Amino acid sequence: MTVSRRTLGLSLLSLAAAVPFAGTLAACSESSEAVPGAPSSGPRSGGTLTWGVETEATTLNPQLNGQDKTKLYLRNAYESLLARKDDGTFVGWLATKWEVSQDQLTYTFTLRDGVKFHDGEALSAATVVTNVTQLQDATYNSSSAAGPLSHVASVKASDDTTVVLVLKDRYAPFLDYIGSLALLSTKSFASSDLKSGGPGVAGTGPFVLASYAKGQQLEFTRFEEYNWAPETRGHQGAAHLEKVIYRFLPESSVRLGALQSQQLQVIEGVPGTLAAQFKDNPQYSYQTSLNTGTPYSLYFNSTVEPTSEQKVREAFRHAVDLDAILTSVYAGQRTRAWSAVSPQDPNFYDKSLEGTYGNDPAKANALLDEAGWTGRDGDGFRTKDGKRLTIVNYQSKPYVRDQRDVLLQAIQAQVKQNAGIDFDVQVVDSGIADQHRAARDYGTWDNSNTNPDGVDIEYHWLLPDHGGFINLSVATDPELVDWLRKAQQTTDVAERAQHYFALQQFVIAEKAYSLPLYEPEDQIAALASVQGVGFRTYHQLPENAYDIWLEE
Amino acid sequence: MTVTEIGRVSSLVDTEAERAGTTSPASEQRVGLRTTLFAVLRRLAGGVVVLWLTVTAAFVALQLAPGSVVDALLPVEQRTPEAVAALLTEWGLDRPVWEQYLDYLLRLTHGDLGTSYVLHRPVSEVIGTQLGPTVQLALTGLLVALVLAVLLSTVTAGRPRASRIASGVELAVVSIPEFWLGIVLLVVFSFRLGWFPVAGANGLQSLVLPALTLGLGVVGLVSQVLREGVERSLEQPWALSVRARGSSETALRLRHSLRHAALPVTTLLAWLIGGLFGGVIVVEQVFGRPGIGVVALQAAQGRDLPVVLGVALFSAVVYVAVNTLVDLLALVIDPRLRTEARG
Repeated sequence: MTVSRRTLGLSLLSLAAAVPFAGTLAACSESSEAVPGAPSSGPRSGGTLTWGVETEATTLNPQLNGQDKTKLYLRNAYESLLARKDDGTFVGWLATKWEVSQDQLTYTFTLRDGVKFHDGEALSAATVVTNVTQLQDATYNSSSAAGPLSHVASVKASDDTTVVLVLKDRYAPFLDYIGSLALLSTKSFASSDLKSGGPGVAGTGPFVLASYAKGQQLEFTRFEEYNWAPETRGHQGAAHLEKVIYRFLPESSVRLGALQSQQLQVIEGVPGTLAAQFKDNPQYSYQTSLNTGTPYSLYFNSTVEPTSEQKVREAFRHAVDLDAILTSVYAGQRTRAWSAVSPQDPNFYDKSLEGTYGNDPAKANALLDEAGWTGRDGDGFRTKDGKRLTIVNYQSKPYVRDQRDVLLQAIQAQVKQNAGIDFDVQVVDSGIADQHRAARDYGTWDNSNTNPDGVDIEYHWLLPDHGGFINLSVATDPELVDWLRKAQQTTDVAERAQHYFALQQFVIAEKAYSLPLYEPEDQIAALASVQGVGFRTYHQLPENAYDIWLEE
Repeated sequence: MTVTEIGRVSSLVDTEAERAGTTSPASEQRVGLRTTLFAVLRRLAGGVVVLWLTVTAAFVALQLAPGSVVDALLPVEQRTPEAVAALLTEWGLDRPVWEQYLDYLLRLTHGDLGTSYVLHRPVSEVIGTQLGPTVQLALTGLLVALVLAVLLSTVTAGRPRASRIASGVELAVVSIPEFWLGIVLLVVFSFRLGWFPVAGANGLQSLVLPALTLGLGVVGLVSQVLREGVERSLEQPWALSVRARGSSETALRLRHSLRHAALPVTTLLAWLIGGLFGGVIVVEQVFGRPGIGVVALQAAQGRDLPVVLGVALFSAVVYVAVNTLVDLLALVIDPRLRTEARG
């Protein structure tokens, strides 16, 4: 096992990895059947899997939890009406059939027969209606009620297995929202656990949420009656594993060490600099997948000096040699982004933007000269009318992850050296960051978002007070709203894509409103004996434990 | 008070008290009881005031902190005016601040600590369920620190070379951040040797490394104070008379010097509990242990006001209780204090 790159902070861990204790190694090589990548026989039923995860859920109620990183375990117990294939098309799950009317206002779902909740309740149209009406109550879930469900005029059970939802206005992302809504049993809504989630809140998934020890672990046991997996999954019938335990280990170095000493069998969240220990190592399987949504990007504030000047925004982008920076910060383990949409998106990513800007210091300097930033101060920064060319970025401390502070510092050094720009990166408390965002007195804002299916594009580019919750460039061009409204009004994927392509060309190529940096990804490392670990189709987050099995 | 100052004060007390002479045991006991009772009552009254001040200070601090609760609770893409309004009503945050404050105090007198904004559980339940593992960890850590400190200080005191080396090592260990100490112990004893499990609070085995990390973080300070005390007491005239009675050096140190040196340490204990609580936050995080530390950290980051207030209140209760106990303990350890209290 060789470790090619180390950071100072993690060198200790690398040390431990480089010298694995002999006992386990020997034990591993003795079980000759465990040849990775070549499962000898079919999936084996039974066994317990222990998975080290980074994020503990604030609430275990899937309808209230907004943390992407908790989906991999919550989806063991909770399921929804539809699933999506990698190409973005919908397939049946708890609903076998669905229909959107010609005017795109009426959504009809036919439910699967014989689906049971963990508390014994049978899934019926009435259950779905209860779920929707509960979510329309702002005291239960204020964001759903004010968000996607505000478009709903009525929801009815026309018979025992048919649910009809009528919308007030056309809203294309609705099918994804309602199709991926985790359904709870009717009884769950009367549970005292409802808001915090837990064993009292029943779903229909292949595993039952058995117990929760806060700050420590979450335990699931197999739901023997389970027989309604969607076609996107690897098998049908009950899950292979008898039991799955998720351990909460927020420190990445501790997770890695625990996997290497075989105290855990699977972990998620591997820092780029340490990936080499698992990649191409026959003892482990290592997988990554790019997130959906929008890449991690810098958004230039178009309302304040100096980023209100397009030439400054373009110059900034040209002053950065992003490929070199990503290679040095992430040991080459991250994928560069070029557009306002993730390259992972099967329908809406505009590939033609790749390679169209960046790493051209001469052009950067020429642009800044044209814009009048011709003076230089004692520190070597450009000035205009005695004012330094300063662009401030407030990084909100709780959101600094994946070495994003280091990344911005590298950019800071480069734009200073290449173009005399003072890129002032300040890591601040979330409260202070919120204040600056509200006051819009920042130069750039860094952000990434995983909402798929165009929802992320709306959040970033609708008007700030009309659905553009994270319109961090404060872009108010009327074209943007026009494209987004048109895309919202049709469920035809190709037509939507045309509008989103036009938007990407406009904000990236024409206006230079943002500098896309890299596409965030999820990583899973597992012992070679663990089979069936992978990512969820289309949404790309780590998948639940349904298809996982353990070799003897 | 610095370490040397504590040592100096204790040695002053020593000399005065050694001169003070004798008192009859019976009167000593009676006075001791009355003093104790008075001390407890005074402490109780003071304790209530301390709790109120703590809650008020925490409340004010959280109001003054930048940013709003809504920002912390609602992801930015869900912050519609309707959603914000619903959230404010749900938690009663649309009322004036003084009303929220008075309401909180009123409910507090009924033992109601409120409900966590983030976890949606009663605060008393959140703290209650997380208390066990933290107490276990803190007490074991304290035990580790005390045992090691007593060993280190009695063995090395008065032996210049040994004492210099020990003191250097102690200071070095104290200076290592607990985060690193924890990782180093994990790498060696869990990842490489496989002796102890990495995570959780399952039984004694999983307690060893966290307690060691926590204990090592403070052992240096305790042993420095203790050694200084032992060394000073060994120089006292009475030490000579104990030696003259034919007592062995070990017996002198364990039976006499340690008792003299223990007094400043008990005073330090109250401070130590605070230090341990700070360490608990880091240790729980590194080892993936449940407990109050992690709860407090997450609540502070997430502006979970009721939980922050609950934890602040809890810490104040512990602080008051420990201080009271320490004062009583001092009376038990040092009979001279009981005499002085009478005079």
